[in-house]
Amino acid sequence: MSENLLWVEKYRPKKVANVVGNDEAKAAFIDWFKSKRRTKKAVLLYGPPGVGKTTLVNAAANEFGFTVIEMNASDTRSEKAVRAVAAPATSFVALDTFYKESKGNILFMDEVDGIAGNEDRGGVSALLKIVENARVPVIMAANDPDLQKLRPLKKVCALVRFQQVRIPLIIATLRKICQKEGVEAEFEALEKIAQNSRGDVRSAINDLQSLAETEKTLTLQDTMILSARNKDVGMDEVLREYFSAKSLEEASLLLFRSSVEYDNFIMAVGDNLPLRYTDPVELAEAYDFVSQADMFRGRIGTEHWHLLRYFFNDLARAAAVSPQSYKPFTLISPPIRVITLFWTKGKRTTLEKICGKIGQRCHVSRQTAKEDFVPFLKVMLEKQKALPVASWLELAPEEVEFLKKMSKF
Amino acid sequence: MAVNEETLMWVEKYRPKNLNEVVDLKDVVESLKAFMRNPKTMPHLLFAGIPGTGKTTLALCIARELFGPNWKTFTLELNASDERGIDTVRERVKDFSRYSRAAFGNVPFALIILDESDQMTGPAQTALRRIMETSSRTSRFILICNYSGKIIEPIQSRCAVFRFSKLDPKAMVEHLKFIAEKENVTLSPEAAERIVDYAEGDLRHAINALQTAAVYKDGVIDEKTVQNVVGEVSGVKVQVMINKALSGSFIDARKKMYELMGEYGFSGSEIVRQMQRELFKMSFVTPEQKAELSNIIGEYDYRLTQGANSDIQLSALLAQFGKVGKTQGENQ
Repeated sequence: MSENLLWVEKYRPKKVANVVGNDEAKAAFIDWFKSKRRTKKAVLLYGPPGVGKTTLVNAAANEFGFTVIEMNASDTRSEKAVRAVAAPATSFVALDTFYKESKGNILFMDEVDGIAGNEDRGGVSALLKIVENARVPVIMAANDPDLQKLRPLKKVCALVRFQQVRIPLIIATLRKICQKEGVEAEFEALEKIAQNSRGDVRSAINDLQSLAETEKTLTLQDTMILSARNKDVGMDEVLREYFSAKSLEEASLLLFRSSVEYDNFIMAVGDNLPLRYTDPVELAEAYDFVSQADMFRGRIGTEHWHLLRYFFNDLARAAAVSPQSYKPFTLISPPIRVITLFWTKGKRTTLEKICGKIGQRCHVSRQTAKEDFVPFLKVMLEKQKALPVASWLELAPEEVEFLKKMSKF
Repeated sequence: MAVNEETLMWVEKYRPKNLNEVVDLKDVVESLKAFMRNPKTMPHLLFAGIPGTGKTTLALCIARELFGPNWKTFTLELNASDERGIDTVRERVKDFSRYSRAAFGNVPFALIILDESDQMTGPAQTALRRIMETSSRTSRFILICNYSGKIIEPIQSRCAVFRFSKLDPKAMVEHLKFIAEKENVTLSPEAAERIVDYAEGDLRHAINALQTAAVYKDGVIDEKTVQNVVGEVSGVKVQVMINKALSGSFIDARKKMYELMGEYGFSGSEIVRQMQRELFKMSFVTPEQKAELSNIIGEYDYRLTQGANSDIQLSALLAQFGKVGKTQGENQ
């Protein structure tokens, strides 16, 4: 049964000592956890994703015999919801001590920075009340501690900062897992996965599993796919700042500093530009810059990376066409292109097949068939009488139906 | 397999089977006939010209004249735009020249027809040139393309080049009349001229339009029917996209663009080409506007070749249309 587990779950440490990296943070947290007289009733663990915050809480609870009552981002956290779960858990001390060997409860609220404005209305103030009234330890975890709305929380919490886990530690962890799973892995491959994870142990383990689980071998070559799906931390944030930039300087600075993946970024800019500039003249000017940026991207290819600055420069100009016309808007994501191509794949393949058959019969390429034959064939089929032609072309009945129903281009 | 002659697409049914039946193209046919009299002297051939002018037809005629009824055994037909990469071409040519036991009567070679060969990249063409050299004892190539300029010099110099220009409208009208008579379809002279007008020298287009019109209205084709057919088969979506862009509904225009890419799998440059074609059919756009817009299309057609992402370039193109639409709206 453990075969089907995600490796991140299967190899999640049960003991505090086995949690990888962040020794200072670990020590600070355990001090807080074990102390009899806490100066602060709650603790806020913050740091990038996948560095072991949740793991540490669970390991500590396990080691010291506490029961974790957990809420995370998948639950809504309106004031009501927070109260419904958290209030009983905090105000009644360890009800289940009677029938479990539990020393008590701890309330763990994961991803508290995900408490979003509207759906979780009043969520933060409810959290505050709970911390005030709590008779059990309250632990919170967040990725970004600087968010405005969490400021009130920071006052009542002890703060523990987590950092990215160092690469050698991640490599060592991956190696252990490989041994246990019987995976033969090149060191360079593990190194590449670790580097790519940017200190995120969880994503490193997930990558390892996705690359090595079926084949049980892993070469550097296999890991090449990773750079293609480099994750984008904070793409939306960067986009928002980008579109609201007040000057060319601001936009360029932002782009040069950010670490977003440029191909995804320019695509997102392309999708959102019409929402940013509603005036056709401004839109045309901005798109002209984006188009020039794309040409630099084309020239960069896979080697001329020194041209990247011109790419960014043009993108910055697109953002600064008319700073005064900026009005906030809801960003479009995921990319329209990806969505469109996903939903229309079936239609495209059917059409390609039909065109292949026409091409065979009429000595033309699929492309010519598509442009020079399909429109005529469609009209003929709509008029029904051309069905013999369809059977001469060896079109299946569903292909005939497809052509009839297809919208014209 | 016995093919029922009645059910064919007319372009196939009336495709000339020998050089004498070919429409127009007298000069080309005469030179080719000279090769046919002594096949040993036939060099590689390169046919260049716009679509629907008989290049593929002539190549197939040559195959028939050389090898008779079993021409398919000795002929390999490839379409460069369908075959992905030179490797497929190389493999198939190699296999073909190995197994075809090239020799039929006094014809000492097998025939390889490579259609749309200008779709091949430069490096692929260089490889093709090697293939032509190594297999030259056993095979002859007929390369077919729209623009001979896109074929690299070394290949051109190894071929006898034949250029095909737009077919003579009169000859096309005659041919349509001939087909209509055979098919027992009444074709009014105005309708025939209208079709030829629409086809712009592309006989394949004209015959497809004729057949569609015949189906459209029970065997009587008048100008009105042709008008309807032409309306139904022309690039409606592309025109709507241009319209939306000009009237400032950029987001809608971009949606149409994604429909063209998604549902029909058109590439960026294909869409640009269709825009160019459809633009000139749009009656409410003034000639001055057409010239300006066409210029913009040209610019972005070029940018497409430089850029990395065709969505971006097409979107930018549509945005430029929006600007033209707005500024001209204000001037009026």
